[in-house]
Amino acid sequence: MTPVLETTGLGVRHRRAWALRDCSLALPRGRVAALVGPNGAGKTTLMHAVVGLLRPATGSVTARGRVAFMAQDKPLYDGFTVAEMLAFGRRTNPGWDGEAAASRLAALGIPPGRKVGRLSGGQQAQVALTLALARRPGLLVLDEPLANLDPLARHDVMRAIMAEVAERELTVLLSSHVVSDLVDTCDWLVVLNGGRVQVSGDIEDLLAGHLVLNGPVELADGVAAGTRVVAAGRAGRRATLLVRGGPVADPRWTSRHPGLEELVMAYLRSPESAALPRPAGVGG
Amino acid sequence: MIEFHLDRASGVATYLQLVHQVKQALRLGGLRPGDQLPTAREVVASLAINPNTVLKAYRELEREGLVEGRPGQGTFVRRAIGGGAPLAEHHRLRRGLEQWVGQAREAGLDQEDVRALFAAVTADAFTEGVA
Amino acid sequence: MIWLTWRQHRPQILLTAAFLAALGLLLLGSAVEARLYLAEHAPPGCPGAATACGDLAVGLAERYDAVYSVFGWMPLVLPALIGAFWGAPLLGREYERGTHRLAWTQSVPPWRWLAVKLAVLGGAVVAGGLVLSLMVSLWRPVFRDGIDSAFGNIGVFNMVGVAPAAWWLYAFALGTLAGAVFRRTLPAMALVVAGVAATMFALFALSDHYAEPVRAELTGAVVLDDPDARLVRAAWVEPSGAEVAGPAAAACPRRVDTGRSGRNTDAWHACLFAEGYRFAVYYHPPARFWRFQWTEAAILLTASVAFGGLAARRVLRRAGG
Repeated sequence: MTPVLETTGLGVRHRRAWALRDCSLALPRGRVAALVGPNGAGKTTLMHAVVGLLRPATGSVTARGRVAFMAQDKPLYDGFTVAEMLAFGRRTNPGWDGEAAASRLAALGIPPGRKVGRLSGGQQAQVALTLALARRPGLLVLDEPLANLDPLARHDVMRAIMAEVAERELTVLLSSHVVSDLVDTCDWLVVLNGGRVQVSGDIEDLLAGHLVLNGPVELADGVAAGTRVVAAGRAGRRATLLVRGGPVADPRWTSRHPGLEELVMAYLRSPESAALPRPAGVGG
Repeated sequence: MIEFHLDRASGVATYLQLVHQVKQALRLGGLRPGDQLPTAREVVASLAINPNTVLKAYRELEREGLVEGRPGQGTFVRRAIGGGAPLAEHHRLRRGLEQWVGQAREAGLDQEDVRALFAAVTADAFTEGVA
Repeated sequence: MIWLTWRQHRPQILLTAAFLAALGLLLLGSAVEARLYLAEHAPPGCPGAATACGDLAVGLAERYDAVYSVFGWMPLVLPALIGAFWGAPLLGREYERGTHRLAWTQSVPPWRWLAVKLAVLGGAVVAGGLVLSLMVSLWRPVFRDGIDSAFGNIGVFNMVGVAPAAWWLYAFALGTLAGAVFRRTLPAMALVVAGVAATMFALFALSDHYAEPVRAELTGAVVLDDPDARLVRAAWVEPSGAEVAGPAAAACPRRVDTGRSGRNTDAWHACLFAEGYRFAVYYHPPARFWRFQWTEAAILLTASVAFGGLAARRVLRRAGG
């Protein structure tokens, strides 16, 4: 299937330093992709390059279909009323779905006459999301959509995004530095670390393709030699390895599949490891 | 209509939780043949989970022959489960169990104790039955 | 987009319009009052050269000064305000609020967003400047018929003709660029105020070179009889015909004046003229009014276009066109 979003050898330079280097990604249609990484990993830079706010120094970005973006901190014009914010969307976007936007906000109980600056953080997030959705995008790019929201508002925003994904063919790329927010909602994972893509793939496949092994510390080196170790740790006489690949035959070792958070942390702790699809194809 | 809920701390995969809840409802009479399951959109709009998770759960139920997807209409229950006992029998048994749980509480057992005891008795009973 | 421009910059537009309307009313009232005064007090033949007209002229001058002192600061302050409140927030506010990431990721491309804003607001600013110029030009002749100083007085010069429009546009473009550079409104405002003031002094100094000054040799007086001319420089001319910075000390004795008296200087001048000295004056005659107006406007317009272009470059280099 043709990916909705494809970046090839993408590089972005901020002054002297590279904020992104050699990023190659392909995001299949209909996926909800999580873009995770520590602060300063280049998540926002990558998103800005995708939506055209930054011009890459090297490589290319190809987005198929209309792209809508919700920037970090959900910028809106504070002095505008909600209705004026919608008028802004209508007048700057052909193919604007004003009816859907108005009924969404009405269903959420957000008064159209209220000044945006006087709405709660959760309501502002919903208005920003409505602006993005009313453009009827094929790819929705959300930079930290849940940041600075209370738990209820986080849940509400996520519900709204998921409902939209269920309703029509929409691909989502959303960033977060809180991995637990993304469990159950995202089905594709992109880990960005130090400006490079470290992991990219279907979450289910990634979790199935990795194991957490636990066994005697003196055998760890032998086990490590036969597989690809992402991260290793030890507690007393036991060693724990997070590996990419199959189980170990030795009965002294136990194995289980990692959780999403566990997997992400393991990769972030060892920046030299990578789990990427072969250059030719896209998994999933 | 069934309303799903999630226990994120349980460690059970989300789609399996949905499968279990449908099965539970089929056993206890909350869902009956011909009933419609909520659409993926309805489920994700309340639980904030990926729609594919819901679809995966429904596919699993379909594979087991419990529900069927009707194109353009939704997913419907095909048959109930639970040894074929009629609904009245369910009610009678439930009342008995309620009485028993009441006694257990009076005896000072907490929820965990009751669960453990119930699980142990059930396991023993069915193992004997099989053997 | 035009709606968006209007909605976002409504306060500035309305305030500027209200200010111009208030100023218009003030000028109209003052002109009407002056005409009534003229009708009541003018002896026959006035305004004219008759001595009886003197009182009338003084009365009119008082009325003129009363209003002129109210807006004498306008040539400097108005462009600074336009730059600070129309130009600086245009990009500065978007950047500091992060809303540029909203505005420039809609279907309307950033270059069009900027083009419409610059065109609509720039056009409004030019229109406002022209309205100001028109109002001042209609008001002044009521008082200053025949003794105009729209050329020699740089303050008045900058309030008539095309100068206000050019200055307003220049300040607007400077503010826009400053907002794009600083990405904040307040520092951009400060830069506009300093920049407009510096430009005004620079152009004042430069304006002597807009054209080759006319040279006139005076005998018997050291003052041009045209009060509206712009003096560039002056020098003494020796009887031999050579221009000198100062006449030779031997030619005429010079005593220093005391107090406010100019008697000794006048005597010295008279002595020099008697010795055959002449006084050379280099100046721009008032007939060059439009030439100077258009020269200054062209300089400011070129700078405005350059500033607008630089601001656009900064916006579009970051945001893909």
